[in-house]
Amino acid sequence: MKKVMNYAFSRYWKKLKALFLIMRLISLLLLVGTLTVSARSYSQQTKLDLRLQDSKVGDILLSIENSSRFIFIYDADVINSLGKKSIEVKGQTIDQVLDQLFAGTNVAYRIDDRQVFLYQKDALGKVSPIMQGEITVKGSVTDASGAPLPGVTVAIKGTSKGTITDTDGNYSFNNVPADATLVFSFVGMATQEVPVVGKTTINVVLAESTVGIGEVVAIGYGTDSKVRVNGAVSKIKSESLASYASSNFDQAMTGKISGVIVNQTGRNPGDDSQIVIRGMGTLTAGTNPLIVVDGLPLSEGSSLSSIDTKDIESIDILKDAASAAIFGSRAANGVILVTTKKAKHGKLQVNLDVQSGVQERSDKVKLVDAYDAAIWFKEARDWGYVSKDPANRSAADDNATRLAKGASKRELNLTYTQPYLDGKPGLTNTDWYDAIYRVANYNDYHLSVNGGGDKTNFYASLGYHNQQSIVIGSDYERFTLNMKMDSQLSNRIKFGINTNTSYSVKNMVGDGNWKFPANPVDVGYIAYPFFPVYNDDGSFAVSKQIEGNTPQDGALAENPVAMMLMSKNRQYNFRVFGNAYAELKLTDYLKFKTSVGGDFRSSFLDYFQPSNIGQYRTHVGSLEAHSNENNIRAEDYIIDNTLNFNKKIGKHTINGLLGYSYEQQTDINSLLSATGFVDNSIDNVAGGSNFAFDGNRYKWTQISYIGRVKYNYDERYLIDATIRRDGSSRFGKNSKWGIFPSFSLGWIVSNESFFAKDKFVNYLKLRGSWGSTGNNQIGAYSSQALVSGDDYVLGGTLAPGLASTSSPNANLSWETNKSYNIGLDLGMLKSKLNLSSNYYNSTTSDLLLNVPVPQQSGYSISLQNIGKVRNTGFEFEFSGQNFKLGEVSLSFNTNLTTMKNEVLELGPGQDQIITGSNNAFRTKVGGPIAEMYGYEITGVYKTQDEIDNSPHLDGTLTGDYMVKDLNNDGKITPDDRKGFGTYAPDFTYAFGANLNYKNFDFGFSFVGIEGRKVYEKLIYLFTEVGEGFSMADQYYFDHRYHPVDNPDGFLGQPNLGNFSNNRKNTRASNLFFQNADYLRLQNIQLGYTIKSNTLQNLGIAKSRIYVTANNLITFSKYRGMNPEASADDPLKQGDARNTWPSIPKTITAGVNVTF
Amino acid sequence: MKLIYKLSLIFTVLACFFSSCEDQLTQYPITKRVADNFYSNETDIESAVMGVYAALQSNNLYGLYVPAIGEVPSDNSWEEVPANDGGIFGQLDEFTSIPINGIFGRIWQQSYIGIQRANVVLNRIDAISFTDDAVKKARKGEMQFIRALLYFNMVRIWGDVPLVTKETTNPNDFFGQTRTPVADVYAQIEKDLTDAIANLPEAPSDPGRAVKGSAQTLLGKVYLTQGKYSDAKTQLQAVVNSSLYKLLPNVSDVFSIDNENNEEIIFSVQFASGVNGSSEGSNAFSQFSPSGTVASAKGHDLPTHELYNLYSDQDLRKGVYLDVTDIGTPYLKKLTPNLTNSSDGGSDWVVLRYADVVLMLAEVDNQLNNTSTAIDLLNSIRTRAGLQNTTAASKDDVDKAIQLERRLELVGEGHRWFDLVRRGEAISTMNAYFNSTGKNITIDQHDLLFPVPQTVIDTDPVITQNTGY
Repeated sequence: MKKVMNYAFSRYWKKLKALFLIMRLISLLLLVGTLTVSARSYSQQTKLDLRLQDSKVGDILLSIENSSRFIFIYDADVINSLGKKSIEVKGQTIDQVLDQLFAGTNVAYRIDDRQVFLYQKDALGKVSPIMQGEITVKGSVTDASGAPLPGVTVAIKGTSKGTITDTDGNYSFNNVPADATLVFSFVGMATQEVPVVGKTTINVVLAESTVGIGEVVAIGYGTDSKVRVNGAVSKIKSESLASYASSNFDQAMTGKISGVIVNQTGRNPGDDSQIVIRGMGTLTAGTNPLIVVDGLPLSEGSSLSSIDTKDIESIDILKDAASAAIFGSRAANGVILVTTKKAKHGKLQVNLDVQSGVQERSDKVKLVDAYDAAIWFKEARDWGYVSKDPANRSAADDNATRLAKGASKRELNLTYTQPYLDGKPGLTNTDWYDAIYRVANYNDYHLSVNGGGDKTNFYASLGYHNQQSIVIGSDYERFTLNMKMDSQLSNRIKFGINTNTSYSVKNMVGDGNWKFPANPVDVGYIAYPFFPVYNDDGSFAVSKQIEGNTPQDGALAENPVAMMLMSKNRQYNFRVFGNAYAELKLTDYLKFKTSVGGDFRSSFLDYFQPSNIGQYRTHVGSLEAHSNENNIRAEDYIIDNTLNFNKKIGKHTINGLLGYSYEQQTDINSLLSATGFVDNSIDNVAGGSNFAFDGNRYKWTQISYIGRVKYNYDERYLIDATIRRDGSSRFGKNSKWGIFPSFSLGWIVSNESFFAKDKFVNYLKLRGSWGSTGNNQIGAYSSQALVSGDDYVLGGTLAPGLASTSSPNANLSWETNKSYNIGLDLGMLKSKLNLSSNYYNSTTSDLLLNVPVPQQSGYSISLQNIGKVRNTGFEFEFSGQNFKLGEVSLSFNTNLTTMKNEVLELGPGQDQIITGSNNAFRTKVGGPIAEMYGYEITGVYKTQDEIDNSPHLDGTLTGDYMVKDLNNDGKITPDDRKGFGTYAPDFTYAFGANLNYKNFDFGFSFVGIEGRKVYEKLIYLFTEVGEGFSMADQYYFDHRYHPVDNPDGFLGQPNLGNFSNNRKNTRASNLFFQNADYLRLQNIQLGYTIKSNTLQNLGIAKSRIYVTANNLITFSKYRGMNPEASADDPLKQGDARNTWPSIPKTITAGVNVTF
Repeated sequence: MKLIYKLSLIFTVLACFFSSCEDQLTQYPITKRVADNFYSNETDIESAVMGVYAALQSNNLYGLYVPAIGEVPSDNSWEEVPANDGGIFGQLDEFTSIPINGIFGRIWQQSYIGIQRANVVLNRIDAISFTDDAVKKARKGEMQFIRALLYFNMVRIWGDVPLVTKETTNPNDFFGQTRTPVADVYAQIEKDLTDAIANLPEAPSDPGRAVKGSAQTLLGKVYLTQGKYSDAKTQLQAVVNSSLYKLLPNVSDVFSIDNENNEEIIFSVQFASGVNGSSEGSNAFSQFSPSGTVASAKGHDLPTHELYNLYSDQDLRKGVYLDVTDIGTPYLKKLTPNLTNSSDGGSDWVVLRYADVVLMLAEVDNQLNNTSTAIDLLNSIRTRAGLQNTTAASKDDVDKAIQLERRLELVGEGHRWFDLVRRGEAISTMNAYFNSTGKNITIDQHDLLFPVPQTVIDTDPVITQNTGY
C-alpha cells in the first residue's frame, strides 16, 4: 500500500514540479513586464544634445525631430514669428530644452510621450489653441513601412463627420474645428487619435493592431472584431509563423496558441503534421481539423504544403463548437481559417524574401559501435544457447559442439566478430546512422508584388522552396504561384478572384509504397557496424551483411544507404485551388455574395526498385526489378451563396447571415504495378511485362444551409446564434441530414458605466457558449456493404472473385460533438497586457467507431455510431506588448493548456478496446483513449532463488524481468496489467518574447509538453529488448544485466534464441512506455533592419537581415527518434512508427527587402 | 417589404438553380459493387464462389499458416531459427505458444472470412436461376465442402469454436455467442460434406474446383479423425471405387509444377506465379526453405534430420519430395521455387490426394481387421517409391508401418501433427522425440489444442481460453 502511495505521490510531485517551473517562468516574464511599466516614459528618459546658433525656431524643432523620436505639432506661422534663436544643451530632457527655447515667448507646450503639442498662452496664462474657427486639414496616412494606406477613415471625434483616404493614402478634410481631435481608423490597424490644435497638415503612421482585444478575427463567412466574439478563437499572425523554417505552416503553428497541439508526424519534408485541437474527440473517423483558406474549405487530409507559409497573413483557429458550428458537419475537430495576404490599394510594392540554412538530426539515439556490438551479440547468443539447457551447455562450447547439442543457427557465435572481441584495432566500424543522416540544405525564396489603382488591386507572389531531408535520398522542391485580385466594378458590385497554384516534387523515404520490408531508416538499427557502406572502389557494398550473416542467421539486412540511393520513390504534385466571388450591395445594410471555389489536385507517384540491390533476407540477384505508379486526381468544387445583413439602430447592432452551400468532391486513383523486368535499363513501369491494376474512384457531396445572427447592445451585451443543416452523401439513406446549432453570450463588463476605465484593468469580458458540430470523415461509401475483388486462379488461369468486405449500416450518421466554453478576457494597462482564458468541455457522441466485432461474423470490425468521449480542460493565453525598457521595446506571450480525456461509452456490452502492438493499448470506459497498458517491471531476476520465491510468469529465466503482482494473488497473469498514461499530454505550454532595440530585433519561444508517453517500436522491439538480432543502443548496452560482464545492470539479459514468456509478455510494460515530455527551444531569432539613404536611393524602402534557429535545444528524457511520431489511429496513438526521422534542428539566415 | 420581396426572390432563384443538388446526396460506389445489388444473377454468384476459393489462398490459410500448423509442432519438422518473425513459428515448434501469437489470430480470422463468404453464397444461391441446374448444385456443393474444410481445421486446432452457418446481417448479433462443442461442429461438418457429396459432380468444370471425390475424401478423414472407422471406410472406398484417381507411376510427376491438377490430386488450393501482377502466388516455399538458401528464406518448416534419415537410399522420394542443402540441412521440394520473386511461388498447395486416401484406407482396413487389404494398400505406395513390400504382418506392426509410410509419403503436407493428435500419440511421440534430440521440452494434454487468439477474447469475453494458456 505504501509503495502504491509513494508511486502516486512521486508521479504527482513530478507534475507539480513542472507546474512550478512554468509558474516561475510566467512570473519572471510578468516581473519584466512590470518593471518596464514603472520605467519612465520616452520624454523623461531621452537626453538631448543640441548646439544651434542663430537658427529659426522651426529648424531647431526639426533638428530635435531628426535626432530623436519626438514629433512636434504646431502652427508654423506662429513659430516662425518667433524669429531666430540660439541654443546649446547637453544631456537635457525635452522639457528642459523647450523651457529654454520658449522662455519669454507666449508659446506653451504639452508632451504626450513622443508627441509635443505647442500652444499659445493667452494673457491670463490660460492655455488655448493657437488658432480658432474651422480649418481644412490635409495629410497622408501610411503604415509602419511607409506604404500609403487607402480607405482609412478619418473622423472628428465625438461627431459623425468623417472622410476616407484616397488610393495614395491622402485625405483632405474641410471645416474641421481647430480644437477638434481626429480619429484615424482602419481594419487591422490600431486606431489613432490626433488633436488638430490648429495644424493644417497632419500626417499619420498607423501601427498594426497588436495581438489583443482590438484585432479583427476571421469567424467563418466573415470577420469580426475580437471583442465581439463570444467563442474561443485564437489568432496567429504572419510574423510569428515566419520564425519557424518549414515548408508547412502547420509546423510553424506549434506552441503559438493554447489548445492546439501540432505533432510533427511527417516523415519527409513537405509532409503534414497531425493537428489536434482540444484533444482527440474521435476514435475512428478522421481527426483532421477543417482547413479553410480564404473561405474555401480544403479537401480533408489534403496536403497543407501547397500553401506557402509566406503568403499567409494570419491564421484563426475556431476551437469551441459555438465558433465552429458555422461549418457544421465538418467542424468537430476544430476549424483553421487561413487568410492569405491581401491585395492592397496604392503604389506598387515589391517584397523579396530569401532564406537559406541547414538542418540536422536532433535525436539522441546512439547505437553501440562494432566492438561493443561484438560483445553484445556474443552475450545474447551465448545465453540463448545456454539457457535452453544449462545443465548440458556452456558458453565456452564452440559452434561445432553447439550444433551437435542441437543449437539453432542463432545460438551460434558470429564467427566474423572474433577479431572485434580480441580488440584488434582498425576494423570496419560503420555508424549507419551517420551514413543515413546528413546535414541538409534548406532554401526558401519568396517574391511578392502588391498594388492597385482606383478600383482594382492585386497581389501576386512567386515562391520557391527547396529542402533536403536530414535523411539521405529524400528531398522536397516546391514552386508556388499566388494571384489575388479585387475590383470594385461599380458602387454596388465588387468582384474578386484568387488562385493558389503549386507544383512540387518529393523524393521520399519509406512510405506505404515501399516494398522493402522496412524503410532505410528502419534498416539502420539492424545494419551491423561490421560491414562497410562502400567497397574500396567507391561502389556500394551490396548484400555484404546478408553474406556475412547467413551462416549464423544474424540480421540479413541490405545496405540501407544503397537501398535509399539506388531506388526511386518520387511524388509529383500539382494543385490549383481558389475561388471567385461577386458581392452585390443591395442596400446600405444588405449584401449578397456568391462564390465559386475549386480545388484541383493531381499527383503522380513513381516507384522503382532495381534488381542490382537486394533487400532484407534477399541477396542481390534473387529479386527481379519492380515498379509501380500511382495516379491520383481529385476535383472539388463548392458554391456558396450568402446574404449578409448589417444594421445599427441606436444602440442595437444586428448582423445576420443566411447562406446555402453545395460541395462535391471526386477522386480518381489508379495504381499500376509492374514486374517481369528484363533488366534495369527502364526505371519505370514501362520496363515490366506483367502488370496489375487497381483503380478506385469515389464521389461525395454535401449540401448545407447556414444561418447566423449576431446581436450587440451598446457594445456591452452580445448574443450570437448560428444554425447549420448539412446533408452528406456519405451517410446512410435514413440519416443523411444533421442539424448543428450554437448559441453564445458575451458581456463586456468594462463598457459598463460603473466600470472605472482608468484602473489597471481597462478591459473585461465574460463569455459563454454552447454549440454542436459534426464529423463526417469516413469513407465515401461507408454506410453501404461493398463487394470487393479477391481473385483466384483455376489451373493457372485467372478467375476473378468478389466478396462482401464490409457490413451495411443504413443508419450510419454524423458523429456529433457538443461542447460548451466559458471564457474570460482581461486587458490591462491600456491593453498592453492581455489575458484570455477558457474552460472547455466537449463531448462527442455517436462516435463513428470501428467496433471490434466477434470474428465469427466474417468481419473483424464494423463501423457504427457508438460511444461517447469527453474532453475537458483550461486554456490560458497571456501576452504583453510594447513595453519599453529604455530603447528596448518588449513583448511577450505565454500559453498553457490542460487536457483531460475520458471515454464515457463504447459499444453495447463493450467496456474496453485493447489493440496495438503487443496489445499494449487499452481504451476503457472511464479511462482515457489509448492508455498504454501492460505489466509493471520492478527489476531483473539475478538468481533462480529469486524467481522461485516470487510470483513470476511461467518460463521466467534469470536475467528476465520481475513483474509486479498487482492483484496480490501470488501469480502473474494478464490481470496484473495496468495503465501507464497516454500519448495525449496532461498539459502543454509555451512562452516566448520579442525585443526590439534600435534596428535590432530579437525573439525566442519555447514549447513544452508534459505527461506524454510514447511506445516506440525502436525501443520495444529493437534496441532495448536484448534479443541480439538488432543493434543495441548505448543506453541498453550500458545497463543490461549480465552476470559476468555487467552484474549491476537493471535491464534484461541479452538473450537471442530463447524468448521466455516473460520477455515476450513484458514487451508491453512500463519499461517501454517511455516518458516523452519535452521542453524545446522552438525558435530563436535575431534580426537587423537596415535603414540607410544609400538603400533608399536604390529604391529599397526597407530591408532586414535575420538569423533564425529552430529546435536548437530540447530538454527531454525520451530516448527514441521522434517523440511526436504517433500512429494515425487514435486507439493506438503513441504507438510510434519505427524510427521516424527526428525533428530537425534548423539554422537559417535570411534577407527581406521591400522595394 | 421590398427587402423581403428581394430576399425571397433571390432564394427562390437559388433553390431552383440547385434543386437537382439534393439528388446528388445519394451516391453509389463507382469502382466497387454494392452488396444490395450484387448476387443477383449467375455471373455474380460465380464471382462470389471464386471469392470463397480466394479466401483459401491467403497466407493466413493455405498460403502459409495452415500447412505450418500441421507440421511445425510435430516430429516431422523443426523451426530453424525459432526467434524469426517474432518467434511465432518457434512457439509452435517448442510448445511455448501464447494467445497473442499472430498465427492463431490470422487462421481464426481468415477461416471465418471464408466461412462467411460461403454462407453468403449458400444463403443467396437458391433464389438465383442458373442456365444449368447441375452447375448451381455443384456450386452449392463446393461451398459446403469449403465450409466443412475450414471448420475441420478449426476444431482440430482449437476444439470448440463458435459455429455460424448463416449470412451475417448485423455483426453485433454475435456478441454473446459462446464456443460450440466439438461434437456439434463435427455434426455440421458431416452434414455439409454429405450434402456436398450429393451436390458435387465427379469431374470438375474447371481444374481446381472441389468435386465429389474431394468431399468424400474429406468426409473419410473427418470420420477417421473421430475414430468412426466403418463410416470412414465407406467414403474412402467410394473414392477408390470411382476410379477417377490413381497413384501416378512416377513420384516426380506428383508435385511437378508442369503437371498440376493431375489424377492423384483430389483437392488443392491453386496458386500461379506471374499472374495478376504477381498476386496469385504463394510464399510458402521461401518461408519453408533453410534461411540463406533462397530469397526471403526463413527456415520455418524444415524436415528434421531424423525424418530425413528414415528414407532409405532406394527410396525414390528422397531427392524428389525432399533433399538436403550443401551443408546437409534437409528441406522440402514439393513446392517449386520462384527464383526471381520469392513471394510469388506457382505451386498449388495439395490439401487432399490419392496417396493419402490409400494410406487412410489402409489404416481403416487394418483397424477393421482387414490387415491383408491394408498391407496391399500400403505396398502400392511403397512400390511406387521403389521400395520392397512391407515386412510388417501383425495388425500392430502394420499400423506402425502405415504411420511411418504416411510420414514418408505425405511429408510436409500438413498432416503429421493432426495424425499424432487423432491417434492419441502426440504426447508420447513428441516427448520421446524431444528427449532423443536433447531438447529440454516436455508437452502435456493442454498442448494438443492451441490458444484461442487474445483478440477474440478481448472482443467478447464469453469466448473462453483453452486450458493451460
